[in-house]
Amino acid sequence: MLWRKLIRTAARYKAQFLSMILMAAIGTGIFLGFQIEWKSIEENTAAFFESTNYADFRLYSDTGFSKEEIRAVQKIAGVTAATRFLSVNVHIEGTKKTVALMVPEDYTVSTMHICEGAEYEKNSDGFWLSDQFAEKNGYAVGDELDLTYRGSKISGKIVGLVKSGEMMICTGDENQLMPDFTSFGFVYSSPKKLEAMMGTVFYPQIHVLSGMKKNEMETAVKEALGRTILVTEKKDHTAWAGAQSEIEEGRTMGAVLPVLFLSIGVLTMITTMHRIAANEKTQIGTLKALGFRDRRILWHYTSYGFVIGLFGCALGVTLGYGIAAIIISPGGMMSTYFDLPEWALVMPEFCVPVIVVTIVLFTWICFLSVKKMLKGTAADVLRPYEPKAVKKSIFERLPLWNRLKFGTKWNFRDIMRHKARSAMTLIGVIGCMVLLIGGLGLKDTLDGFMRVLGEEISNYTTKVNLTEQIKNSEALAMADSLGGDWSASCGVSLNGKTVMLEVYHAGNGLVRFVDENNDRMELTDEGVYLCQRLKDSAQIGDTIEFSPYGSDKTYTVRVAGYLRSVLSETIVMTDAYAEHAGIAYQIASVYTDTKAEEIPDSELISGKQEKETIMDTYDSFMDIMNVMVLMFVAGAIVLGIVVLYNLGVMSYVERSRELATLKVLGFRDSCIGKLLVSQNIWLTVLGVLIGLPAGVGVLQLLLKTLADEYELKLYLGVRTYAVSLLVTFGVSVAVSRMVARKNKKIDMVEALKNTE
Amino acid sequence: MAIVEFKHVTRIYKNGDYEQRALDGVNMSLEEGKFVVILGPSGAGKSTLLNMLGGLDSPTDGTIVVDGKDISTLTNNELADYRATTVGFVFQFYNLIPTLTVQENVALVKDISPDALDAEQILAEVGLAGHLKKFPSELSGGEQQRVSIARALAKNPRILLCDEPTGALDSETGVMVLKVLLSMARNRGKTIVIVTHNQNIAKMADVVIQVKNGKIKSYEEQPNPMKADEVEW
Repeated sequence: MLWRKLIRTAARYKAQFLSMILMAAIGTGIFLGFQIEWKSIEENTAAFFESTNYADFRLYSDTGFSKEEIRAVQKIAGVTAATRFLSVNVHIEGTKKTVALMVPEDYTVSTMHICEGAEYEKNSDGFWLSDQFAEKNGYAVGDELDLTYRGSKISGKIVGLVKSGEMMICTGDENQLMPDFTSFGFVYSSPKKLEAMMGTVFYPQIHVLSGMKKNEMETAVKEALGRTILVTEKKDHTAWAGAQSEIEEGRTMGAVLPVLFLSIGVLTMITTMHRIAANEKTQIGTLKALGFRDRRILWHYTSYGFVIGLFGCALGVTLGYGIAAIIISPGGMMSTYFDLPEWALVMPEFCVPVIVVTIVLFTWICFLSVKKMLKGTAADVLRPYEPKAVKKSIFERLPLWNRLKFGTKWNFRDIMRHKARSAMTLIGVIGCMVLLIGGLGLKDTLDGFMRVLGEEISNYTTKVNLTEQIKNSEALAMADSLGGDWSASCGVSLNGKTVMLEVYHAGNGLVRFVDENNDRMELTDEGVYLCQRLKDSAQIGDTIEFSPYGSDKTYTVRVAGYLRSVLSETIVMTDAYAEHAGIAYQIASVYTDTKAEEIPDSELISGKQEKETIMDTYDSFMDIMNVMVLMFVAGAIVLGIVVLYNLGVMSYVERSRELATLKVLGFRDSCIGKLLVSQNIWLTVLGVLIGLPAGVGVLQLLLKTLADEYELKLYLGVRTYAVSLLVTFGVSVAVSRMVARKNKKIDMVEALKNTE
Repeated sequence: MAIVEFKHVTRIYKNGDYEQRALDGVNMSLEEGKFVVILGPSGAGKSTLLNMLGGLDSPTDGTIVVDGKDISTLTNNELADYRATTVGFVFQFYNLIPTLTVQENVALVKDISPDALDAEQILAEVGLAGHLKKFPSELSGGEQQRVSIARALAKNPRILLCDEPTGALDSETGVMVLKVLLSMARNRGKTIVIVTHNQNIAKMADVVIQVKNGKIKSYEEQPNPMKADEVEW
C-alpha cells in the first residue's frame, strides 16, 4: 500500500521528483562521462603503445647512427630492445600529399598494428600504409604507391593497412596541430626495400625500449657512443605527450564540472526533499496517529530518496556512457586526434563507490528530512509545518527601506526567509553563467589563438621544409631566390628540460612575433626571447645556459624579453644574435610569399606547406571545440531550466496562500505574476554578478590545464558576454513566466481554506 | 435600497460524474449599511454564497447584481478590480502576508485601491496603533484578525464579507472582533455580511438568513439587535 503511496506522491510532486532525478542523472552523467573519457584514453592508448612497442627513449643524431653504434646501445645494461630508425616526410608522386616514411631496422621497437593484409616481413618489397590515410585517399591493399624521397622514386605495392603507436597522433610537424589524413599519413617500409632503392639507409634515430631513467640513459649512451646525444623520453614525443595531456585535461575537467553539477544535484535534493517532507508533514502525522511505527514511516519516506537516487544514477550511468561515447568511439570527437585500433569505454574503478555513495547520500538526505518532521508526539506531527518566523534584517534599518514598494519588501523578506531555496536559485544561475562564459570564452580564446597564428605570426604564403642534409649556404641561396625569411631549430637542454631553440631571420616580415598580450613585437639582436612557459626561468637581463643535443658545448646567453609561442616550448633568437653568441645552427625552413606550386621541386626540399593548408588542419580541432562549446551551452540551459523551474514551482507552492490572498484583495494576475518574476530577476542579477567572474576563473583554470601544450591568451568577446547574459536572463525570465502563469489557475477558495 | 441582489443563482461543482449543487436557485437582496448574518450547517452553501458575492467564484446560472452592476459576467481582470474597490474579505484564518509587517499588510492595498484609507488610522481604529511594526507571527489570533479587518476596510469597500471571522478565536477576543465589525456597520455605513455556524452571533444582526441544502430557508429582519457585548458566547 505504501508503495502505491510512493508512486502517487511522485506523481503529485512530479516537477520536484523529475528535477531531482534529472539533477542526479546530470551530476553522475557528467561525472562518469569525464571519468570514462580519461580512463578510456589511458587504457586504450597504453594497450596500443604496448602492443606496438612504443619507444621509451629516442636518440637523435643529425649525422646518423652507424651499425657499431646501434650494437653499442643494444649492449647497454637495462636496454630491452633498440633499433635504428628512419622517419622522414616524403611525397606521394603526382600529388600534394605527404606521408611519413617509417623504417625500423629491427622490427622490435615502434612497430605496427596490422588492420588488414600481410604481417611485417623484414625482406618485404611492399608498403604498410596507414589505414586512415588509405581510406581518405582511396588506397587499398594491392594498389601501387609511388613515393619521392630526395628526388628519387620509391615504388611498391601496398601489402597491409596499419596503425602505429608512433603515429597515433599523425601530424607532419610542429605546425600541424591536428591530424589530416586527406593530406598527411604514414607508411612503413622494410629496410631491405629502402636499401634496394637508395643503396644505403641513413638512420638519424635510435628507438629504445628500456625501464631506465633519462639521466641514466643519457650517461649510458654517452659512455657507449663517446658523444653527447639528444635523448628524449617518450613523454617528449607527440603521441605519448598528447595522450598524457588529454588524460590530464580529462582528469582536471572531471574534477571541476562534475563537482559543480553533483553539488547542485545534492543541494537540489536537500531543498526539495525538505519541502516535500514539510508538505507531507500532516500525512506523516496521520500515519503516526494510525499506529505506524516511526521506523516504518521513516523507511517509507526514505525510500523516496533511494528511488530518486537509483533512477537518477541509472540514467546518469547511461548518460555518462553516452557522453563518453560521443568522445571515445571510432567516429567520436577524439578519433579526429588519436588513431587508435580499440575504442573501449573503461570506467575507473572508483566510480562505482562514488555512484553508491551518491545513492546513499540521496537516501540519507531524505532520511534526515523526514526524521526532522517525525519529532514529537503524533499530535505535534499532525500540525502543519511552520516555516521560520520572519525577522527584520539590517537592511530594514536603512531610511531607504520605508520608501520601497510592498512587492519589493515582500520579495526581499521572502528571499531572507527561505535562504536555502534562494541560495539554490543563485547557485543555478551562477552555474548557468559559469558554463556559458567557460564554453563561449574557450571558443573566443581559441579563435583568438587562430587569429594570432594565421594573421599575426604566419605572414607567409608557403613554408618550405628543407632536408636535414642541406648546407646553410644552399638554404640561404634558396631563401634569397624566394625572397623569403628562414628559421633553424634544434633541441636543447635547459636546466635538464628539453626545449626547442629557434633561430630566425625575419627581415622580410614573413614570420612575425607577438608578446604576451598578443601585440606584435620585433626581435632585437640583444639576446634571446623566452616563451611564456619559460618566463619563470629567468628575468629580463639575466643569463641562461643551455646545451644543444648532439654537442658538448654549453652556451650562455642574455634574456632580452619574452614572447608568446604558438605550440612548442621555445627559446627564440635572431640569426644575428646566434652568430654573435657563436651558436651553430642548421636552416630547416624557408618562409616565402611564393605559392607552393611555383616553387620547383628539389632534392633539398623535403616538403612544401601552404599556410592555408596548415590552417585547415586546425579545422577538425575547432570542430571538436565547437561541439564542446555546444555541450557547455546545452548544459547551462538544462541546468538553468531544471534548477530554476524546480525552485520556482517550490516557491510558488509555498506562497500559494499569499498569492491567493493578494488575488482576493483585488490584485490582478499580471501584477502578481510580475512580483514572482521580479524575485527571480533579482536573484538572476546577483547570480550573474557572481557567475561572471567565476566563469572567467573556471576558464583560466581550464587554460592552465592546456598551458603545457599551448600558450593561450584569455579572450572574451563582447558577443560572449552578450550571449551569456541573454541566455541566463532568457532562461530565468522564461522559467519565471512559466511558473507565474500558474498563478492564473490558483483557486482562491481552496488556497485559503486551510489553516496557516 | 438593495446593494446586493441574487437572482436565481445556482452553482454546480462537477467532480468526474459527480455533481454537487452548492447553491440552488438562490434569490435574495441585501440593504446597504446592514449587519447581515448567514447561518447554516456545514455544506449548506453559505460559504459558496459569500464567495459568489465576493467575486471569488462565478455562478453556473443566474445573476448577481452588486450596486447596480451584474458581476456574474465579469472577466478575471474586472473581477479583480471589483474585489479591489467594492468588497473586502475577512477570513477565519486571517490570511495575512507573513513577510509584511502589520502596517505593510494594511498599506499594501494602496497599490490597487484608488480610495484606500490611511493604514495607520484604520489600525488605530481597530486598536492596533501600538503594533504597526510587528510581523503577524508576533500577534495573537484576535490581533491578527483585527489586522485582517483593517486590511479589508483600508480599501474603503461598500461591503465587508466575513467567513467565520471568530471561528478561530476565544469568546473574549471574538466579542472584540465583532464589536469592531458592528461599529463599521453602524458608524461607517458599511454592509457587513458574516457567514457563521454560531447562532449567538445572529442575535446582533439586522438580518439573519438561514441556508440549507443550497437554498435560502428563511430570511428574518431583526428590528432590535443586541450589542456585541450582550451576546452570550
